[in-house]
This record gives sequence, structure tokens and C-alpha cells, in this order.
Amino acid sequence: MVVGVGGVAVGAEPGARGARPVAARGGRRDLLRGLLAAAGAVALAPVVAASRPSSEVRGGDAPGELAFDETYRGRHIRGIHHTGAPVGAAQWHVTVDGVRLHLMRRADGTWLSMVDHYRSYATPLDAARAAVDELGPGQRLRDSGTDTGDHHGVHA
Amino acid sequence: MAYTRKDVTKLTRTERRRLVNAFLEIKRSGEYDEFVRTHIDHYVSDGEGGLRTAHMTPSFLPWHRQFLLELERALRRVDSSVTLPYWDWTKDRKAGAAPWTEDLLGGNGRITDRQVMTGPFAYSSGNWTIRESMTDALFLRRDLGRRRDPIELPTRSDLEWAMSDPVYDSSPWDSTSRKGFRNKLEGWGAGRGPVAWRNHNRVHRWVGGDMVGGASVNDPVFWLHHAFVDLCWTRWQKRHRNHRYLPAKPPGIGDEQRGRIVARHQKLPPWDVTPDQLEDVSRIYRYA
Repeated sequence: MVVGVGGVAVGAEPGARGARPVAARGGRRDLLRGLLAAAGAVALAPVVAASRPSSEVRGGDAPGELAFDETYRGRHIRGIHHTGAPVGAAQWHVTVDGVRLHLMRRADGTWLSMVDHYRSYATPLDAARAAVDELGPGQRLRDSGTDTGDHHGVHA
Repeated sequence: MAYTRKDVTKLTRTERRRLVNAFLEIKRSGEYDEFVRTHIDHYVSDGEGGLRTAHMTPSFLPWHRQFLLELERALRRVDSSVTLPYWDWTKDRKAGAAPWTEDLLGGNGRITDRQVMTGPFAYSSGNWTIRESMTDALFLRRDLGRRRDPIELPTRSDLEWAMSDPVYDSSPWDSTSRKGFRNKLEGWGAGRGPVAWRNHNRVHRWVGGDMVGGASVNDPVFWLHHAFVDLCWTRWQKRHRNHRYLPAKPPGIGDEQRGRIVARHQKLPPWDVTPDQLEDVSRIYRYA
């Protein structure tokens, strides 16, 4: 199919690879770094993610706040919240069994994930659980590689 | 001359075979997976920054109209007799009937892992491996009616609720717009319960499996579903002849939606076409 035939009249073009809107780019590592326990966050415990196995903390190798860390239907779901990023999905690093789950925020403040895209949930934890509900036995999230915003579906 | 898009239940045996073969051919060539990627890349949510062209936005309808045209062109390059059929989910509501037959889309996924086991798009056929997806499953997944927690397809009256709204779309031009045909058809409601996902959104969830995620295009039913959504837009236009795509002009300076939505005469990425140009496609195709 023919894409990108020029004539982009409105702002950035999200479909062009490498030209995403961009809180995500360049960012998550730096944004996480040093952002400990900001006021108002659901702070449970600061997590130095770098001390975890690298497969588990891709893109989150600096302190953030562990907002949730639980086993749900046999899956390990974990969410690190960092308040320094622009409001929205860039504030969250959520994993299911160690693989990044990309979240998106809706205008009404609810959350969707790339796995479950046609409704939204009250919190990132609810969205992560819903994503697990969509995974069949033995299925994992596809590890889309880097955390730089260069892979599909990152529009945060 | 304009070609005709038919009700999927009205296709002859030959038409079904040729449609399936064209799908399999563009899958084999790699072209199909480009469509899957395009859809993933254009899903921008309205609580984030950036231009929304495909979802939670006025251009939901023209974006998908152009997307279908591109796919249909690809199919017709393989077989010029093929056109996209539509699935009227207010009428054909049974998991065991068309379009879920062995000679068309195949049936439901099995209970254990939702893997589609029958028809031309079953993994075992060797012709339909899932390459662009949110999960590592290589097979097409479905869970028609969502067995664990059943839901119903939208009804005629659900659809009528959208069709009877004479205004195309309204501020704030996103998933929270309470008024307007576009969001009522796209299906983002308020609240947390089942009313929060209607019409178009609800159908994605009723099919389940791949159709629930950003890579929903992996299931060929995506096109039949969206052909019906497109037909609904055409019917809405006939019913409300004095009403057109909105907004007519881009939001002004200081408006939160400025640069985030596509107005009637602005280009609709990734294509070199505007909503205005896509409002009347009667010279390209019509619905039977």
C-alpha cells in the first residue's frame, strides 16, 4: 500500500516511523532517574530496578515507585510509576512476566493497553489485569525489543 | 464504473473462494502485514498528545474508509472480480453461521487457547501465521461471544441510537464526545460498565482474541466489520443530507484539540486525501 504521500497538514504524523509524538523518545530512563517518592503518588516502596534481572526491568533501570507488584492468574504483573514525565502513559512502566505492556491514557483519565484496545479501565492495574485476561495459556506478550519508542504502538 | 460491495451472506460459492484466495495471496506476499502495522502505528489515544487520525477522533470514519479502499485495491490487484463484503452484525449474530463458515473466515477459537482451528485462516493451513501482534501466539485467535463472560453483539436499536443523531461529531472531538454520530458509532461511552463500549467497539470485543487488541487487523473479519461500519456512514449520509463531516475547520489557537484532529479539508495521514474527498465515494463503489 502507498503510505506517507506527503501533504501532512496537521501537526506530527504518528505513522511515520521515528517521528512519533514524543514523550516516549529519549525518555523513560532519564525521566525515571532520581524521581523518588513524589508527593501524591501511590508510593509503596522505591524500587531500584537496576538490581533486578535485566529482562524484567527493560527501560526501567532507575528508581521509580512501585505502584503494584502482584501475581494475577499466574502472571507476574508489575507497575512502576514516575511522576516526572508528562501526564499520561509515559508515567508508567508496566510489565507482564517481565515484558513491557504498553498503556495509553484516555481523555477521561481511564487506561487501555495494546492488548485490549476497544475499552478502557479505571487504573493501570486494571488495564494490566485485563491484558492478562486476554493472554491464553502459554502465551506471552511479544517482546517488541527496545524501549526507545521505535517499536509499534508506542505513542505515549 | 463503480463496483459493488455485497452482504457477506449473499456471496456465491465462487465469490467466497476468490475472496479467500485473494486474502491468502496478499498475506503470502507480505502486503497484508503492512496493513496490520499501519493500524497499530495509527492508534493514538486521546489522553496522550499527538495527532489522532484513526480512533477517538472525527476522522475515525474516513480513515477506515481509505484503509478499506487500500486493502480492497490490494485484493483486486490479485483478482479484479473481488470486492470487500460486509458483515451486518445486527442481523447475522450466530457464531455457527456466516461469516464464520469453513469456506469463508473459519469458526471460533478453541476454548484452551482461542486458536482458530477451522477454515482458511487456521494456523494449521500454513497460510496464516501471525507476525505482527501484541502476543507471541503465531495463530489467529477468536473467542466469539466471549465465553468466560458472555456479551451480545450490538442490536438494531443500539445502532439506531447512533444513526438517528443528525450531527456528525461534536466537541471535544474525542472518545468523550457525548453527542454526534461518529462517537456513538465508534462506541466510546461514559462510565465503567458494558455501556462504556458500544457498536463498533463492542463488535471487536464480541469477536475476541486478536480483534480485541491493536493488531485487530490480523483477523480478516476486521475488514467485513469495518465495511459494515462504512455502510452505516453511507446510510447516515443519505438520511441526514444536510449534515456533513465535522469539524469543517481546524480548532483555533488555544483549543486543546488543535493539531490533534483532522478537519474537513486537512490531509488525513498517512494518505494524501482529505475527509472532504472521502465523503462521496459513489463513483468507486456502492453497497448492495
